[in-house]
Amino acid sequence: MPCPRLHQAPLPPTRLSPRSSRSLRCAVRRAATALGFACALALLPGLGTVAQALADSAPAAPAAATQAAPTAVVRGALVAPGDGPAFPNDGSAQPVALPDDWAVTRPGFGGTLWYRIGFNATGPIARGDLLALYIARACTNLEVHLNGQLVLRGGDMETRLTQNCNHPQLAPLPTALIQPGPNVIDIRVAGFPLNKVGSRLRGGGLSALEVGPQSLLAAKHAQQTVLNVAVPQALSATLALMGGFMFVLGFINRRESHLAYFGALSIGWAIVDARLWLREPPFSHALAEFLLCSLLGLIAWAAVQFLLRYAQLRMRWLDIALPLQAAVLPLSLVVAGPAQLYPVASFWYMLLSLQVLAAGAVHLRHQWATSASAASRWPMALLLSAVAVAGVIEFLAQWSGQRPLAAHIAQLVVPVMVVLLGLRLVQQHGRALQSSEDSRVQLQHRVREATAEIESNYRQMSELKVEQVTERERKRIAADLHDDLGAKLLTIVHTSESERISTLAREALEEMRLSVRGLTGKPVRLADALGDWRAEVVSRLAQAGIEGEWDAPEDLPQTLSARAYVQTTRILREATSNIIKHSGATHCSMRCTIADGDFQFVVQDNGDGISPELDGRLDRGHGMASMKHRAKQLQGQCLVESGPGYGTVIRLTLPLDRATE
Amino acid sequence: MKTILLLEDLPEIRAWLRKLVLQVFPGSHISESARVQDAIELAAAVRFDLALIDLGLPDGSGVAVVTKLRDVQPDTQSVVVTIHDDDEHLFPALQAGAFGYILKEQPRELITEQLQRISQGEPPLSPSIARRVMAYFTAKSKPQAVPANALPNVSLTDRESEVLLRVAKGYTLPEIGVQLGLSRHTIADYVKQIYRKLNVSSRAEAALEAQRLGLFR
Repeated sequence: MPCPRLHQAPLPPTRLSPRSSRSLRCAVRRAATALGFACALALLPGLGTVAQALADSAPAAPAAATQAAPTAVVRGALVAPGDGPAFPNDGSAQPVALPDDWAVTRPGFGGTLWYRIGFNATGPIARGDLLALYIARACTNLEVHLNGQLVLRGGDMETRLTQNCNHPQLAPLPTALIQPGPNVIDIRVAGFPLNKVGSRLRGGGLSALEVGPQSLLAAKHAQQTVLNVAVPQALSATLALMGGFMFVLGFINRRESHLAYFGALSIGWAIVDARLWLREPPFSHALAEFLLCSLLGLIAWAAVQFLLRYAQLRMRWLDIALPLQAAVLPLSLVVAGPAQLYPVASFWYMLLSLQVLAAGAVHLRHQWATSASAASRWPMALLLSAVAVAGVIEFLAQWSGQRPLAAHIAQLVVPVMVVLLGLRLVQQHGRALQSSEDSRVQLQHRVREATAEIESNYRQMSELKVEQVTERERKRIAADLHDDLGAKLLTIVHTSESERISTLAREALEEMRLSVRGLTGKPVRLADALGDWRAEVVSRLAQAGIEGEWDAPEDLPQTLSARAYVQTTRILREATSNIIKHSGATHCSMRCTIADGDFQFVVQDNGDGISPELDGRLDRGHGMASMKHRAKQLQGQCLVESGPGYGTVIRLTLPLDRATE
Repeated sequence: MKTILLLEDLPEIRAWLRKLVLQVFPGSHISESARVQDAIELAAAVRFDLALIDLGLPDGSGVAVVTKLRDVQPDTQSVVVTIHDDDEHLFPALQAGAFGYILKEQPRELITEQLQRISQGEPPLSPSIARRVMAYFTAKSKPQAVPANALPNVSLTDRESEVLLRVAKGYTLPEIGVQLGLSRHTIADYVKQIYRKLNVSSRAEAALEAQRLGLFR
């Protein structure tokens, strides 16, 4: 699945962009995919060859049956020891059954042996077929002579033997060399005694021989080569690649040290598997065997540690014992000497395998105890049991000396299991990484939320504080005004001889109160304001003997700012005062409506109206001009229509949304 | 012949009030004081029929005198005489048991009329005071406000609430009388009741608070 492009992916509801987590997840996914591809690529040639070989060999078998030209399997030969260039003719030749295992027929023998077989080549030659000799196994190296002529040499036969133990051989028998009648094939085999090698696989011997048409035998040879050589090669490559990757992962991340051990195990096994296909190792035979066996000590160390740490166990004494053992193993080999390699190595194999098996058992038991779901237990259990079964088969094969197909398969089981295990580890690692990334993102998100909340709380609190301080200041100003200014004005009101002065002082006091109210007051609900105005206006009119009629909607939800309330109060007071003092009216109606977001107030009286001269003579600050000015200050307007005999109509309009600011 | 207490710190105003009172209640015996402390001592010693109390005094608020009078002489009519017309100042006085309030700067005729009205049992009630009283009783009626066993459950009757509502809307008392089909006197009685309940409830609350704080003697 391709990684989603960042700008198309649905973002979680947070301001934090999860780019880093997404890119990391993508990186892990890509790495895992790349690894999978690499493994597949490495395996592909092997698989391809296998498929090819199987395809090739399949139709060949029925063809062989129909042609009725079977291959001749040779199960017996004459054998004679000798180092010479040709089959020794000194009468030391003896018959021997093939396959010939030197550990059985001549224990302790290492060196060169000559085998001789004979065959008649009438049938196929007459038909014009090419002949070939198929040797399933010749250990360690061989030469094939046909009628005295060399037709195949497997490599170096003298100084450093080419390791052909695991490679099936196909020797062509050129028609020119074939004589009519009986023909002789001499095979010279060079090998090592069992004592000097680490495994039965590499003990000297010769398998059964097959002579037949080259086409058939070539197919068989190819098939066996794939199984013996190509597949282990592919597995080695895969293991080395994967091991390197794992080791780096585990090395970087100390908390996943099991990955590093797995990486070491994988690389170690890749090197060990090289014994199956590497024909010309750069060491002498003894050194190669020594290194191979020593490597197993390290592999066992890595395997045991991996199994334990994967189950999150850690045994301190093993941390010391295992490296110690890995050091002791080579020492024991050196002490025992190359001649005793096989028994010592076999003993060590047994020991190491038991250790790994024990570690596997501990791992499984611990995992079964702690793991939550059944699904997560089975994979490891299956893997480990497969490895255990393969180990048992290998042991039986080593012990009995037989190499059935099961043994070949068993040899490949371990690397395949290691690869599968590696893939599973990558998957788990990726998942763990993802979940830790998710929780990190979540944590970040929560921290952001908490920070935002703290910031907003702090902001709120500081705003509240400012409000409180402001209000306190205003209250203090109001109190001061009331106390000082108010007291003085009051004194004027009640001690002045002049009625006019008293009135002025009284009005000044009321103005002061109103101003303070505008300064300190909170917004007023329009319904409440109308109640206040009604009470004041109607009672004042009633005292002046004017009939008042008040009409206003009830329970209006809007609010007025303190300033708008105060200014409107002044306007209404002014209007009422004018009506009382100058209009000579007997009836006054006041109507309030809300229309189009505007507050509309209409005051109509049946008085004499206002004549223009009277307007000019009114005191400064009073009169229509001041009412209009106040209304304009509130972004509204105040219209006056008046005329003698008509009465006076005052229309006050105030926009409510502005008034509430 | 009434015994009247006069508490006012500005001498001119005090003189003027004295003149006014003698006009409204001729022959009454007036005790003057300029400080809260003096007034409290007087309240403890002398029996008054009427008390005119200023709120802003040099050594404290006149509300303390109102409280003292209510404690020792519940029948005395305490009238708060003040410059402030806002409910911030008047409401605590009413809670303390003031019978009514008079705004100082009004013309003499008005004050005279108001004083007469008050003495006849018609305390004033402005829309803002009415709103404040309504809010107070609404808050009290909420269940979590008061523990059940502590206070006498003082709440307004429906009639009283109606009266308050109309006053808040700006109707005068005569108008309300007309609307509810009651006499002006009855409406005035309701207002008196409302003030009394306010006082009772406030005092009980204060007592509970004092008890909680361990000040109850």
